[in-house]
Amino acid sequence: MMYLNKKTILKFILFLILCIAGFTTLYPLIWMAYTSLKTNPEIIMSTFALPKSLHFENYVNAWNTANMDVYFFNSIFVCIASVALTIIVGALAAFILAKFQFRMKKFIYSLFIIGMLIPMQSVLVPLFIQMRTLRLLDNPLSLILTYTAFGLPITIFVLESFIKSFPDSIIEACVMDGGKIKHIFLEMILPMSRPAIATVIILNFLNNWKEFSFALIFMSSDSKKTLPLGLYNFIGAHSSNYAELMAAMMIASVPIIILYLILQEQIINGMTAGAVKG
Amino acid sequence: MDLIFKNKKTITLALLPALLIFFVIVFMPIMRSFVYGFYKWNGLGEPIYVGWKNFIDILTDKIFWSAFKNNLFIVAASVLGQIPIGLLIAIVLNKKLKSTSFFRTIFFLPMILSTVVVGLLWSTIFNAQVGILNQLLTKLGLEKLEQDWLGNPKIAMYTISIVIIWQFVGFYMIIFLAALQNIPIDIIEAAEIDGAGELHKLFKITIPMIWDTIMAAVVLCIAGSMRTFDLVFVMTKGGPAHATELMATYMYNKTFEVYKYGYGSAVSLIIFILSLSLILISRKVMSKREDI
Repeated sequence: MMYLNKKTILKFILFLILCIAGFTTLYPLIWMAYTSLKTNPEIIMSTFALPKSLHFENYVNAWNTANMDVYFFNSIFVCIASVALTIIVGALAAFILAKFQFRMKKFIYSLFIIGMLIPMQSVLVPLFIQMRTLRLLDNPLSLILTYTAFGLPITIFVLESFIKSFPDSIIEACVMDGGKIKHIFLEMILPMSRPAIATVIILNFLNNWKEFSFALIFMSSDSKKTLPLGLYNFIGAHSSNYAELMAAMMIASVPIIILYLILQEQIINGMTAGAVKG
Repeated sequence: MDLIFKNKKTITLALLPALLIFFVIVFMPIMRSFVYGFYKWNGLGEPIYVGWKNFIDILTDKIFWSAFKNNLFIVAASVLGQIPIGLLIAIVLNKKLKSTSFFRTIFFLPMILSTVVVGLLWSTIFNAQVGILNQLLTKLGLEKLEQDWLGNPKIAMYTISIVIIWQFVGFYMIIFLAALQNIPIDIIEAAEIDGAGELHKLFKITIPMIWDTIMAAVVLCIAGSMRTFDLVFVMTKGGPAHATELMATYMYNKTFEVYKYGYGSAVSLIIFILSLSLILISRKVMSKREDI
């Protein structure tokens, strides 16, 4: 009897720790959500209180006057373009590195893997200078190329190990039937790699959607900024408009949170698997 | 058959795009920073060769060294904060409570948010006027503890560390949880039959069993926290009075605020060398598993 009691108490304490930790994690986000529906005087009067009535106009204002609409579509464009480029270029390279035989193979593979170790900040300034020379500053292409380059290591890493596991015999059978490499890649390798491709799409999309540093130094005109950068500028322009700031932050986060809730397993696996091996 | 898989033309054509993008965006800038680092250049006129001057100036600048110390502070705070808390939560979650998957979802959530959102959200929470933290302290009758959390140079680094821990704890929790779930059940059961208590099981079996994972997580944590830039940039920009300056914000300010491109490139190179050596040393010292 004593033993059982001790166990129940222990379980209760552990559960309490969990609840406290969970609440600390979640409350800031809940607070952001309901503060985004309050008015500024309400926020200043009492930060904790729930909104008296729901002020959805904060969202309308943030969307229109704070240019969230422009930033939102810029982010979508840059993300889709860079993810597409990363997958095409990365899958091609991964296929070659996984199934072909040539001398520099190991070296080229390590080159990409070392890329995962390179601290992004050490590239920030020289890459800015380089983009300036190439006249790509303030051009979405600069972000698309940069996100692609920094997404390639993990993409190649994940896809290479996946494609490697395909038995050579099925590819060989295809070649016997007169299939060209181009067709084998498009009609066999790509469809078979779907699960791994889904993982790297999610991973790259999330990373690029969140990215701030490169956007900060590359994009200067307001019409070309991405969401994180637009949000950052928001505080400069409307520093005490907390209601709209919270609404703007919700606009940037809610799509990603919904995506996370739907694709949770893939997202968690993708983000941790790459990191543990990298 | 072999001919197809050794066809040089196919290999070159298919690898070229990836290599080209990677080389132009990642390697070329690092090589360029070697060159620019030896020049004085404001980005407009002709660069003037100044030899080692930039590097000497940086390495004798007290602000740079305090920035380096702040980088190490963040590394230490991340390792000492994220790893133990992540491990504790993982151990609790591994007890197979009904709510495990619910809590797992919550703890990982901050990881997917943009650092800008996290930074702005917490800046508002720490805000001396509207922030919830000070109001919470007032309600608890702890007015004495009220602070300008980001404005006080003495505690700003601690404040920032809390935010970093908040954002990344879930990541380590997931890694530890996966490792814990891989421990064979019969080992734990055997210990239970021998009458081992909870604490005994934890320190004598569980932790030794996942020790390699813990070390790998420490290595990851060091590499990850050396990359900190956006969060500090959004929250304090390195202020007040350089109290939260990191090597990267120092570099940003020198390059984009006072337009010393050559000097900024030299800082980039020093960051590259310092971070990479720290990461490689930590890997050598702590990681036994070769695949990590």
